[in-house]
Amino acid sequence: MIREQEAGWGRALALLGRARSAEARRQGHWPRLAHATLPVKIAGGIFLLAISELAVRLFAPAYVSRPTGVFRVLPQTISNPAVLSGAATTLGAVLEGTVIALISGTVIGLAMGRLKLVDRFLRLYVDGLSAMPMVAIVPLFTIWLGFTSWARLATVIFAAFFPIAINMSSGARSVPQGYLEVARSCGASTWHVLSGVTLPASMPYLLSGIRLAVGRALVGAVVAEFYLSVDGLGYFILFQTRTFHHNEAFVAVLLLALVAVGVDALINWCIRRYMPWYRTGERTR
Amino acid sequence: MLSSDSRSVRWTTVAVSVLFGAALWEFGTRGMNPAVMSPFSATVLRLVEMIHSGELGAGAAQSLALFLTGLSAAVLTALPLGLLLARVRVLRVAFDDYIALVYAMPMVALIPFILSIFGLDFPAKALVVFLFCFFPVLYNTVEGARSIDSELIEVARSFRSSEWAVWRDVMIPGAFPYAMTGVRQAIGRGLVGMVAAEFFLSASGLGQLLMISARNFDTAGLFGVVLIITLLGAGLMAVGQALENRFTTWRGVGR
Repeated sequence: MIREQEAGWGRALALLGRARSAEARRQGHWPRLAHATLPVKIAGGIFLLAISELAVRLFAPAYVSRPTGVFRVLPQTISNPAVLSGAATTLGAVLEGTVIALISGTVIGLAMGRLKLVDRFLRLYVDGLSAMPMVAIVPLFTIWLGFTSWARLATVIFAAFFPIAINMSSGARSVPQGYLEVARSCGASTWHVLSGVTLPASMPYLLSGIRLAVGRALVGAVVAEFYLSVDGLGYFILFQTRTFHHNEAFVAVLLLALVAVGVDALINWCIRRYMPWYRTGERTR
Repeated sequence: MLSSDSRSVRWTTVAVSVLFGAALWEFGTRGMNPAVMSPFSATVLRLVEMIHSGELGAGAAQSLALFLTGLSAAVLTALPLGLLLARVRVLRVAFDDYIALVYAMPMVALIPFILSIFGLDFPAKALVVFLFCFFPVLYNTVEGARSIDSELIEVARSFRSSEWAVWRDVMIPGAFPYAMTGVRQAIGRGLVGMVAAEFFLSASGLGQLLMISARNFDTAGLFGVVLIITLLGAGLMAVGQALENRFTTWRGVGR
């Protein structure tokens, strides 16, 4: 893209010849700047850190977290057993819930994508419940499951299920009819068509569904921990902010952000590595 | 597939699906402990009662006011900022990765900080909704503006367009459809922020109704409020979707 731009500029400049103005020369810098993005990005990061440091120092009470404070407590917080076990339980619940949602969501999504009757009965409910703010379900789970980690798991499953089911159903629906006909005319059984054609062909949809699901699952887990006061990273954040240890709490926030971004990057990498013909960053929900 | 159906088929489908679900809810839950599961009829009765007493209407009005305050503040600040970042390349290169990072971050984790710094009144709650809504709009606007063909801007410049004209005729129309994707995402996330703020800051609105009915084991009331929130969410998401569809036609081919 950048090279094209430069080539385009070259041609334009050759055509314009003498008409090359100071204005054009000024604009000509921009494509070259693209090769030097890293220093600019680092400068941007330093700027943001400096601004937040300054703002907190000037306007906020002393207990509010600020970059230098977070940096100072980083080593001891990272090695704090409460953080480690909290991270393990929260991420364990997210993983467990996402896997359960993945299995059930794939099955329901496949059924909705391939069987019109199932779609007609479930579409309304799946769409409606996925539009509902998932945190609203937590009080109901406290009635059914008590203030326990089971309620957190249920929240995570509830949060992660709908993006997977919806994306899976649109993926299953988007499989080219030709693939299915070829598979069938070669004598493939229903099961083989599903596992050998439909599922692989809808993989990119499923992967972006998983990406959304993990994001929502993290939110669900943290909200559930706030509401239920069960152990985990969310509860660690709640407890530390209540006792005015904002810096320590912010380290946990950074951990959560790291997990969210890491999962995003992993899934993008999977799509690029194994399905390079699909554009990444595809916009589904 | 469903889109190929005629309108009457679609409405019949919805009606049958609703009837079927209601029947399952009603008869599948008969004989269960009413504190654990409330049948459809009891839920509807309780809902009517809550509407008559005015608590549901007041709660929904409170929640909506909170939601709309946060959402509109977020859209009004994130849109111009996103366009600015898109137009000034250095700024975009400097900040887009950080925006993507915060966009991916679970924003709920910041609620305890907001509680302890800004207290638990309406402004703090609106700030929560604002934070939930701000980054989807910003992120998508920057992404959208980045996708504007740089040749368009160059052509505009070479025809001596003023900076204002570049904004009016290229930047804003080009980025707007993506910004609307952001607004739709912001509606979805803002609803989560709204309920979370009402849970964890001072209890109010629909969130408070949910908590009270759960605490009283008023399962019928709880189901009723969940039903109302679901309808509210589906309605607002439909508005967001309609906005997005309305403006994505601008994107043209290949987008």
